[in-house]
Amino acid sequence: MAGHAASDSWIGARLLRKEDARHLYGHGAFIADIRMPGLQDIAFVRSQRAHARVRQIVKPPDAAGRVFTLADIGPLNILEAGPELAAHRHGPYPALSDGRVRYVGQTIAACMAPTRAEAEDLADRVSVELEELPAVVDCVAAMRPGSPRVFDSWPDNAFITSTVNEGNPASLAAAPIRLRRQLRMNRQATVSLECRGSLAYWDHRLNELVIYLSTQGGHVKRLGLSKALGLPENQIRVIAPDVGGGFGGKNRLMPEDIAVAAIAMKVGHPVRWIEDRREHLLASVHARDHAYDLIISADRDGTLLGVEGDVHIDAGAYSLWPTGSFMEASMASRNLTGPYRIKHLKLNTFTVATNKAPMGPYRGVARPGACFAIERLVDEVARELGREPFDLRRQNIVTAAELPYSTAAGMRLDTGDYVASLDMAHDMVGLPAIRKRQIAGEPNGRAIGIGFAFYTEQSGHGQVEWVKRKSRVVPGYESASGRMLPDGSVIFHVGTQNHGQGHETTLAQIAAHELTIDPARISIRYGDTATTPFGFGTFASRSIVFAGGAVAKSSRGLIAKIRRIGAHLLQADVANTRVEGGAVHGPSGKISFAEIAYAANVRQEHLPAGMDPLLDVTATYEPTETGGVFSYGTHAVVVAVEPDTGVVEILDYVVAEDCGTMINPMIVDGQVQGGIAQGIGTALYEEIPYDEAGQPLATSFADYMVPCAPEIPKVRIGHLVTPALATEYGVKGLGEGGAIAPPAVIANAVADAFRSIGASFNETPLTPRRVSEAVDRARRAKGAAA
Amino acid sequence: MKAAPFEYLRPASVAEASAALGRNGMTTAAIAGGQSLLPMLNLRVAFIDLLVDISRLDELRAVTETPSGLQIGALTTHAAIEDGKVPDLFGGLLRRVAGQISYRAVRNHGTIGGSVALADPAADWPGCLMALGASVRIAGPSGARSELVSDFVQGSYSTSLAAGEIILGFELPRPGASLRWGFAKVVRKSGAFASSIAFVVTPGRSAPVSVVLAAAAARAQACPETAQHLQRGTATDEALRQAIARDLAVHVPDADAYQQRLHTATILRAIRDWRAQ
Amino acid sequence: MTEITLHLNGTQAAHTVEPRQTLADFLRDRCGLTATHLGCEHGACGACTVVLDGQAARSCLQLAVMCDGRSIQTLEGLRADPVMEVLRRHFHESHALQCGFCTPGMLIMGRDILQRYREPDAQTIRHELSGQICRCTGYAGIVDAIVAAGREIGTATR
Repeated sequence: MAGHAASDSWIGARLLRKEDARHLYGHGAFIADIRMPGLQDIAFVRSQRAHARVRQIVKPPDAAGRVFTLADIGPLNILEAGPELAAHRHGPYPALSDGRVRYVGQTIAACMAPTRAEAEDLADRVSVELEELPAVVDCVAAMRPGSPRVFDSWPDNAFITSTVNEGNPASLAAAPIRLRRQLRMNRQATVSLECRGSLAYWDHRLNELVIYLSTQGGHVKRLGLSKALGLPENQIRVIAPDVGGGFGGKNRLMPEDIAVAAIAMKVGHPVRWIEDRREHLLASVHARDHAYDLIISADRDGTLLGVEGDVHIDAGAYSLWPTGSFMEASMASRNLTGPYRIKHLKLNTFTVATNKAPMGPYRGVARPGACFAIERLVDEVARELGREPFDLRRQNIVTAAELPYSTAAGMRLDTGDYVASLDMAHDMVGLPAIRKRQIAGEPNGRAIGIGFAFYTEQSGHGQVEWVKRKSRVVPGYESASGRMLPDGSVIFHVGTQNHGQGHETTLAQIAAHELTIDPARISIRYGDTATTPFGFGTFASRSIVFAGGAVAKSSRGLIAKIRRIGAHLLQADVANTRVEGGAVHGPSGKISFAEIAYAANVRQEHLPAGMDPLLDVTATYEPTETGGVFSYGTHAVVVAVEPDTGVVEILDYVVAEDCGTMINPMIVDGQVQGGIAQGIGTALYEEIPYDEAGQPLATSFADYMVPCAPEIPKVRIGHLVTPALATEYGVKGLGEGGAIAPPAVIANAVADAFRSIGASFNETPLTPRRVSEAVDRARRAKGAAA
Repeated sequence: MKAAPFEYLRPASVAEASAALGRNGMTTAAIAGGQSLLPMLNLRVAFIDLLVDISRLDELRAVTETPSGLQIGALTTHAAIEDGKVPDLFGGLLRRVAGQISYRAVRNHGTIGGSVALADPAADWPGCLMALGASVRIAGPSGARSELVSDFVQGSYSTSLAAGEIILGFELPRPGASLRWGFAKVVRKSGAFASSIAFVVTPGRSAPVSVVLAAAAARAQACPETAQHLQRGTATDEALRQAIARDLAVHVPDADAYQQRLHTATILRAIRDWRAQ
Repeated sequence: MTEITLHLNGTQAAHTVEPRQTLADFLRDRCGLTATHLGCEHGACGACTVVLDGQAARSCLQLAVMCDGRSIQTLEGLRADPVMEVLRRHFHESHALQCGFCTPGMLIMGRDILQRYREPDAQTIRHELSGQICRCTGYAGIVDAIVAAGREIGTATR
């Protein structure tokens, strides 16, 4: 922009966060902190069986008016969820049971009382008679003929199946190296530390329903609630207060949200439901749960040729609105080539309904599974060939000169230097030194292993990508509404939803850069459909690309008008002015934004003739390429494993990553470290197993292991910076990347520790039992062979 | 996740507490630190009619060193032991065990008496006290009694505590000058319930070795075969493993191959720890 | 209902409580002290950690009725606490929080650690922080912040 000397200092500054102070003083306002006169609590009666007909619900006679079944809160509309594909089967998901329950934890009735404890007392007194039906528990067995079915009217249990056929997979049969491996990434919860919650009341003055929701995006939830409740959107206001983490788990419209809203419309006072931890583990968004049965083919020289096989996704009992769980299968299969020049693909994917809690998105969506599968397979090929896995990666990975590169699965990898990332991680972790240490052996009998894994992270993808995914809602843009107030301070309302990512800081940095003023003069507001322009929320590593771009565009709109007013007041030609330091500078002097904004807002007589008052610009933004920009990185880890107990200790963890231009490197590092902590959870600790009857076996933190400070190392992070070409400032999203590679890299390291006996580690989490059993199997096999 | 309603009583004396706990027709529970009981009440996996708060009974608080050993009041917290506020007659074993129980904020309030009374199979204190040959002092409607911890703990969440009885504290016999101990514990994550715990204790130069395995079966168990091998002092690693296998076959007959490896490794690690002293 | 007297954040007051009410619910619902967060209600996450008679405690694992006559401090009552002032600054500078939900419990536990250890190292802090779940930061910033606060306080009192 000619004549606009945007300050460079705010892009890339380690600015400390604006959102910290309230939390450090305990003034954060989360949904359970909201107090309202007359507020009553809801507790749900939930199914204790995996699959059953609800024969009868008996309400306590003294409390019938405080117990709600589906009939009591209706009529409600059922939302069709999942991709807009005829082949995708619809399984109606009611807010409360419609006579059938399909997973342990499904909502049957809602009980209301002045306190949560009393609501739970009431729920305990509701008697539910269930007629148990056969449960579908394993997603692979569920596709065999004769399996019981989750939905009676379906011919089998698949929500949808698909095939990927690229290159010439028939040629793979003749490949000299063909390795078949079965891999599994088990089911887990998303575990935001703040559970979900909703609080709703009818605002009689405004004649509208107000819903406080712990959500990652209020506008889309309003859309869904409007459809479900049959209430026009102008009569629904969704407010997200402080949100205590989401990670994908707060980005679907859930049955409890609809039920609470519907109850609020029936009763004359506010009601709320605050999810407790057991409910969260039982019935909130579940994630991962992929089963792979794959063959990787390679040449003797190590050239990777192709991947064939089946991908099963255990999607649980229902599709969550809007997107359902098909994205898991499509993204898993589209990421199965990894960053490698793999030409041939033949995959069958099965998105399978089971009697488990519905699956939803979780940080990394599908890619942790795909990365785990391909990166394990690469290591297996290397072992087969007697090669160093690092070298095999380096041989097959797409080089900088080949970018942009379209993978066989149709991903357009944009910018970067993948080889440089591998090399950086190699040098940081010190591969030769670890190999030497392995030869020396450990005095305490532990085995040392080193692993590498590479990931890419599609981010900032827009219209093209979401239309390709047949998404019901196409989050192809974001919005920002910038207002300069009479004193020259600025407020931006954005449609994304900060919930830990630091948008109040980073978006202010972008605005400060464009407006040439201090970020302290800029407020970022979000989380209220009554005040923010429509936006899709925060997920899919999109916010810095989209909301950042929208704030930049809105800022530039403001600046253009500020400059015209400034030129007018300086009696100069606009062409002869420049903007710097919060002022418009002309040939004969300068005028501050405050003076300009004062004129624009309250002293219109000073504006150029015919100019509209106000400095208020709403902008939408989409990158110039909408297939996404790809962050990427190499993780490398050193582990020590005790073979008999199977306990794994992480000795060193390094990352060499590239997320393009960093707006705030401190926040980037925080996202990387935090994502890796969650990935380590997936890799080693977190799991919700089910028994044969479909009963979940981890419903409290006594059984569901969330890693704490002793389990999570301080990650050493190296940055490469290759700006994206399609986004403002060259940014790429990076929120999810940290969580993608840890299962792969840790499994590779553990396998490396036992490479001499050929033990395989193909199932997460790598619990002590799984690790020890894999070692034992390999020892026995080797013993038998010898 | 809120507890179902119950009544609450804070008795002024052990006798009053005992009477309350023994009330007929009521499900009663004593609460001291509450760090195990309250999760169970909050989760509604335990239901009681009357909660008897024994946390302020001074008779349960005293820690006394005597010529014959150490008396630890039931209300002594894990943190008090961790921090060395209890005389250390056992070469740091009690501190080491205490410091690895659950989490600090829990250790600040959880008590040794509560831990033994609950008899969670994965708990640390029952096995530790057994290895030290400790006994438990109990008050009840029919007077006071004393019993070896190894007899008191009967099974998973099961003790000889009768209706109305309260643990007053524990008596730990004074060890000889050449006490040696080893301790090993395997957890799925820091502070989680243990998957395996082993203690190896020699209370004095000529005293018999005691090996105790916990978190393996319904209750902590002595491992006499292993102990005998250690006693002889000449055991080869292979012989030791065989002895452990014989102990496991008796005490953890349902152990699958992994559990056998796990418990064997835990015991061996405790033995290494013991030998290093 | 039972009558109790509490010394809460420096003020003594009498309250009537239902025996089953936890200290956490009492603080949040009866006293409006919402800095104390609930993340699990079974003692495993640490978000509800407060100071009870000078010691860190899970307020979800304390009954209000059992706190009769005791002294309780929540984050709100530690506004001017000198250790907390240092900790807050280092939490801010070390990017030790993202969503902020675990932060009050982390600060209370951090202060507890600094009261028990002089200039604790990272390993000690990690062990002591076990049972305090942070789902966002991966703990690195939190550990750094407590290390730095310990150094600063140690230097000032050397």
